[in-house]
Amino acid sequence: MRWLAAFYTVGLCCALSVAALAADSGPVESLKSFSDFQQVDLNRLLAGDVLSERGSLMDFPNGISSQTCFMVPVSAEETAKRLQLWDPSPHGELKVFAFHALHAPCELADFQQLDFKTRQRSVRWLLDKTIAFTPVKSDLNLTHDEAQQLAACVQKRADPQKVSDCWAKLLLGRASAFQQKGLDGAQPYDTVGESVSPPVQLRTMLREQLAIAREFSPILKRIGLLGNETVPSLTPFYYWTLFDADYHGTISLGAVYQLAVGDHYQLVDLEYYVSGNYYTSATLFEVWPVEVGGTPGALVWRGDFFAAPMLAFTKGTERIAYGALMLQDIKKEIHCFQDEAKTKR
Amino acid sequence: MKLRIVATLVLLLPGAATWAANSMSISQESDIEYGYIGGVGTRGGGVNIGSVDEHSADLKYVVSPQLNKDLLLRIGFEWQRFSFGVPDHAPLPSVLQQASLVLGFDYQVADEWLMRVEVQPGIYSDFRDIKLRDVDAPLVIGAAYLASADLQWFFGLRVDVRTQYPVLPAVGVRWKFSDEWTLDFMLPKPRLEYDVNDKLQLYLGAEIQAGTFAVGQNFGTPRGQPKLDNAIVDYLELHLGSGCSWKITPTVTIEAEAGFMPYRSFDFFDPNIVFRSHNAPYGQIACHARF
Repeated sequence: MRWLAAFYTVGLCCALSVAALAADSGPVESLKSFSDFQQVDLNRLLAGDVLSERGSLMDFPNGISSQTCFMVPVSAEETAKRLQLWDPSPHGELKVFAFHALHAPCELADFQQLDFKTRQRSVRWLLDKTIAFTPVKSDLNLTHDEAQQLAACVQKRADPQKVSDCWAKLLLGRASAFQQKGLDGAQPYDTVGESVSPPVQLRTMLREQLAIAREFSPILKRIGLLGNETVPSLTPFYYWTLFDADYHGTISLGAVYQLAVGDHYQLVDLEYYVSGNYYTSATLFEVWPVEVGGTPGALVWRGDFFAAPMLAFTKGTERIAYGALMLQDIKKEIHCFQDEAKTKR
Repeated sequence: MKLRIVATLVLLLPGAATWAANSMSISQESDIEYGYIGGVGTRGGGVNIGSVDEHSADLKYVVSPQLNKDLLLRIGFEWQRFSFGVPDHAPLPSVLQQASLVLGFDYQVADEWLMRVEVQPGIYSDFRDIKLRDVDAPLVIGAAYLASADLQWFFGLRVDVRTQYPVLPAVGVRWKFSDEWTLDFMLPKPRLEYDVNDKLQLYLGAEIQAGTFAVGQNFGTPRGQPKLDNAIVDYLELHLGSGCSWKITPTVTIEAEAGFMPYRSFDFFDPNIVFRSHNAPYGQIACHARF
């Protein structure tokens, strides 16, 4: 009989939690107003599910997008803070080998952890690509000047320490330019056959998602992705990271901006430089405060925008499959974040 | 004129306006193959036919307009021809041919599940005297489970009421187990692939070429096998070989392979007469485009 009483008690608590959320329809209505989620099942979100939608096909051939929605059992303020500073490297399944904050202004020492001596095959791939690199033809995303500098620095020597030092100098130049000039400092890649500008690619993708761009206009204007502002008026968290992208070691430089908008938060995590495999990405978050069973929680919408050269040749069913697999990776990352939030409440 | 066509499409299909606006919403695939199998002794039904060599060709083109986020149509055609060097009056067809439409759709059923339904109505025969009996419409229903970027499972069902085995199930897997190696165990071309670089791939593999065809009303009698008049033949050919695949542009791949054919059969299953060949060398070239 006691188990029956306990069962009813738990059931009642769950019902009350949902009722508390349902009554506070503000965040849900707000989320529905700009996102692809027209049915938001809070019970599923409370249970840890992640709602997900592949983005619709873009006119921009290199672009792909997706949307996700999930809950975090800590306050919106704390969730926003954690999203801004989150280090994915402890989660082995995400294949992030290094993730480090950059000072502002950044210095060479910020990159001293960049290590090509690892036995990871994908890092070895990047090392080999760097050693075999010629300024004329490369899989690496660089300007002509960077290409000359990297070739002169490496001089085809298969010394991992030397390659780390050469990359560190190159990344320092990129990061410093971004810290000084914002997106205007993100120079286009010249070595990929055409001039490819990461900010232009991000703006093109956002222009195709007007409802999202409108919703995020407060933060997008402040960081210069929309409007006329060139130098961001928000101070971001700067980072560099080394990870595995489809068996290829990839270095990226990114910045995560956060802005409080009324009672909720907007964040933009943008990769203003990626060493290869793809061009750039931006992840947008909107975090609303909600109450879960009397304790503060956060409802999070996440939008991912991703530009890659091979997408222009990925059409039809292959593209649908690509989008589905991209969502799998994003959900894996979200689950890691949620698990961490649960254990570090 | 162009506007009128677009307007008509908009009325006919809800996704047509999207196609007109977005070139990414239409994908096309084109496959061309040619193969040669050296002469090999062929016998069956108490008859020794002698050495039979073979030329085969296949041409397939499919256009896939995307109707909405999850649904793509598949419209196209396929022409396939097996041409056999048989002696005069041998009870084997010198040509087996397929000329068919490709009609179907691809649909994302759930986050990890994609499905394909495809029917190929057309003429499947020796093209001697084309009649209603030569018309067939095999149906393929397939599903793919995307377990991860490196592992996908495939399930398929082929339905063809004219064959000896009208329903054939199949299971396959694509497993990329390292940066360079992929086990692409999918019918009709299971392969073990090795990526030399981003453009060049080597592979070991097998292939099943099969089809069901009707032969002419008077095919058997002049060949001393009256039971073969108006018969249906299940044709089957197995290949084992190795080859290379070269991506000459991001959208065009050419392939060349060679190996041996361990088994080939012409199964006239209704009169129960089967002609078989074993162990012959073969070579094949192909060009695949996805754009």
